[in-house]
Amino acid sequence: MERLRLQTNDAPFYKKESEGMKRRNRWFLLGLVPFVVMIVLFQLAPILSMVTGSISQGNGSGFTLDYYSRIIHSEFYLKAIKNSLLISIFSSVIGIAAGLICAYSITRFSPKMRDRLLMLSNMTSNFAGVPLAFAYIILLGSNGVFTLLFKQWGWSVFADFNLYSWTGLVLVYVYFQIPLALLLLYPSFYGIREQWKEAASLLGASKWQFWRTIGLPILTPAVFGTLGILFANGMGAYATAYALVGGNYNLLAVRIGSLVAGDVVNEPQLGNALAVILALSTLLAVYLNHKMTQRSKMLQSGFTTKNTRSLRIFPKLKSSAVKEEL
Amino acid sequence: METHRKKASWGHRSLMLLLMVYLLLPLLATLIYAFAKEWQATILPESWTLSWFKEMLQDVRFMEALWTSLYLCIISVALSLAVMLPAVFIITVYLPKLESFMKGVVVLPYAVPGVVAAVGLIRAYSSGPIPIAGTAYILIGAYFIIILPYMYQGIRNSLLTVSAVELVNSAEMLGASRLKAFITVIMPNIWPGIVTSTLLSFSVLFGEFVLTNMLVGGHIQTIQVYLYQRVNENGHLASAIAISYFLFILVLSMILMKLGKKVNKGISG
Amino acid sequence: MKPYLRLESIRKQFGDTPVLNNVNLDIREGELVTLLGPSGCGKSTLLRCIAGLTDLDGGHILLDSKDIVNLPPRSREIGMVFQSYALFPNLSVRENIEYGMKMRGASKEARRKRSAELLELIDLGEKRDAYPQQLSGGQQQRVALARSLAVKPKVLLLDEPLSALDAKIRKNLRSEIREIQKKFNITTIFVTHDQEEALTLSDRVCLMNKGSIVQQGTPEELYTTPRTEFVAQFMGSYNVLTRPEVLQLFGKANGDGDSFAIRPEALLLVGADTLSEASREDKQIVEGTVHSISILGNIIRYTIDAAGVRLIVDALNDGRSLRIREQSLVNLALDRSQLLQLEKEGV
Repeated sequence: MERLRLQTNDAPFYKKESEGMKRRNRWFLLGLVPFVVMIVLFQLAPILSMVTGSISQGNGSGFTLDYYSRIIHSEFYLKAIKNSLLISIFSSVIGIAAGLICAYSITRFSPKMRDRLLMLSNMTSNFAGVPLAFAYIILLGSNGVFTLLFKQWGWSVFADFNLYSWTGLVLVYVYFQIPLALLLLYPSFYGIREQWKEAASLLGASKWQFWRTIGLPILTPAVFGTLGILFANGMGAYATAYALVGGNYNLLAVRIGSLVAGDVVNEPQLGNALAVILALSTLLAVYLNHKMTQRSKMLQSGFTTKNTRSLRIFPKLKSSAVKEEL
Repeated sequence: METHRKKASWGHRSLMLLLMVYLLLPLLATLIYAFAKEWQATILPESWTLSWFKEMLQDVRFMEALWTSLYLCIISVALSLAVMLPAVFIITVYLPKLESFMKGVVVLPYAVPGVVAAVGLIRAYSSGPIPIAGTAYILIGAYFIIILPYMYQGIRNSLLTVSAVELVNSAEMLGASRLKAFITVIMPNIWPGIVTSTLLSFSVLFGEFVLTNMLVGGHIQTIQVYLYQRVNENGHLASAIAISYFLFILVLSMILMKLGKKVNKGISG
Repeated sequence: MKPYLRLESIRKQFGDTPVLNNVNLDIREGELVTLLGPSGCGKSTLLRCIAGLTDLDGGHILLDSKDIVNLPPRSREIGMVFQSYALFPNLSVRENIEYGMKMRGASKEARRKRSAELLELIDLGEKRDAYPQQLSGGQQQRVALARSLAVKPKVLLLDEPLSALDAKIRKNLRSEIREIQKKFNITTIFVTHDQEEALTLSDRVCLMNKGSIVQQGTPEELYTTPRTEFVAQFMGSYNVLTRPEVLQLFGKANGDGDSFAIRPEALLLVGADTLSEASREDKQIVEGTVHSISILGNIIRYTIDAAGVRLIVDALNDGRSLRIREQSLVNLALDRSQLLQLEKEGV
């Protein structure tokens, strides 16, 4: 009885306190309002609008899957999807192979030299889109410096090369994939600790055996994760292709652009449906990256503090590299 | 125990040299083209000139585009700072439960390509209650989303590195209000990190082409849109513009690098 | 007897800094030798030189009468356990243990048999399919030990294997390591900076300083007869006294050295009741003031100012000294026979 009364006496006091807390909380939550408004207006609403647009009839009402079925039955759009997938896969696989070797190489340099090399690659990864396409036109376009030089020297190997074709596009895509792969991959090499190599060598493993049994398996998640980012980067690349071949090469991103904002045909609903397909593919790739990053973190949980610091800079580099094509 | 790393071997050096040549060649070509009077079928141009740069500087459209780019970027970054600083602060310090949700929101701009975002924005705002398609407003909104990841990461990282939660708690225990704690204790400590992400966002927006061209290409000319149009008219002039743009980015990223080092030093020291 | 492992004038420098100056050391088969010393004394470098992970600038390493200096680490038949375990994160416990045998081309049956034995030995049979990240630090270190033993190395090197662990686990694992070492009779070199660890674990202790072995011997020898001031300071909290200080306390000094040492437990606090008894035993009685008291478990450590000298005095924490407070006046019984004469440094 006594205890009960005590409790009831205490209760209002606590209640008052927590109400006070709540009131304070509500006030500073106002700081979140502009953020929420911006996100809803410019991130959620557009995505929602695009998705609904792709499944509603031209006049804006009524459900239809007509646009998707048109895409599936159109050789033209299927070809665009196929081209985009192929060029993304090709350029990201080549990019990752080159990036992997270069990333390993870069960790063999002194930190000072390494930072310089990284800055240069980071810098060139800013060199994308219109200026990049233009630089390649100068070098390898139909009147490009190298094109003319090769012709003059009679190097017939390059005679068939056409910058505005599939091979040309792959070449340019690879150019912006390599620095990105390098920047994303090199921190994982620091996750491979020197002592693992030493332990393996004492246990009788050769250098090659170490990489086969320990090094590469540890890197695998990071490689697949990066592959996801590169793939998404390739799928979404618009500026480079647009500046290089305009509407002449059939790519998904270019098709979407011309359907929605082009001058010739203007069929936004179909563009919506294609955009949804494109977004699904990149979302999937980024999700793969997310999963792989988790795995990679688990494998490399024994980081030294030095390595975590270099990781801290990593999202920065990553972001500046990813942006211009996405 | 310190182990002395040997100098990089011959193989690694030549590989890196090859990579750098490969990466820098297009840049170099642009640079030479910008200073070349005529460049055909020779390794280096036969005559040089500064006239393309002169022409660029005398071009009213270029100056206008530069100005447009600058003010659009400044407005967007400023808006983002004003919105993101309190939001990230509140979430990191008081509502850490929302962090995983935030990460999802923030990663979306990575996952959704510019073309797709443009499609959505055009459909959402070409009619309906807020018809702002084709105006600067829609572009600023899009820019806000583009730099969302950088601003979030930058602000959050600096908050975490200065242990904002502990700082705020001690300030509050010493009698400061939350707003006051934020302004007097947190802001002065995180500004180097903020400057870094601001500059980074700025350089990102300065190079933006896809959304700008698709959303407002016909009405508003930023430096990238202008460059695109010039590419088809006069290659040399376009090179001059590209090189100037690139120099600007270079300076920005050097400042970024220096700042990044300073910030890191501040943390470890 | 012929040494099993012989280090002959080992020299190493990093840049211009010499790290190892002409180190010589003979180790018998089955012996456990500790390299003890402060950080930066070169003990880990010496270990890495033996393993072949760091190149020598000069000297020879003879293992079982064969010079192994020019062999790569993987041909040296030496096992090593690292401070940070260095377990392969992508392999399970069993795969980690079997790694060395696999690299040497052992059959699957042989590997399974050996790993099962070792898993039993380290008592981690149930964890054989777990990954290193899922184990505690102590368990990881036991796996690392098993991994290096699996290939039956001629010499086992342990590089501060316990310093990343909690005090309690450290003590358990310490005796476990010693047991396993004795069981396999494996020649072992153990690097540590913890003198207690070195004293409890080893057959022989080599105390290193600035790239040289300054004194070696059994734990008893090193503890009871430090030869230099450095050894005296490092092995226990010896009171190191100059000649004038000794004269002040004892009246006279034995020998003609300039530097002397006396162990803190050789100084006795005596109450008034036992005072006469103590002086009868030919001990010097000095009066002092207690400056500070700290309790180290079963020992109470006093710092006492006596005759102008600050002394460290250890007494058993048996409840008898409760009356003593800071600033108390106490009597100290000094036994001159416990006074050790020290050599000059660097001799």
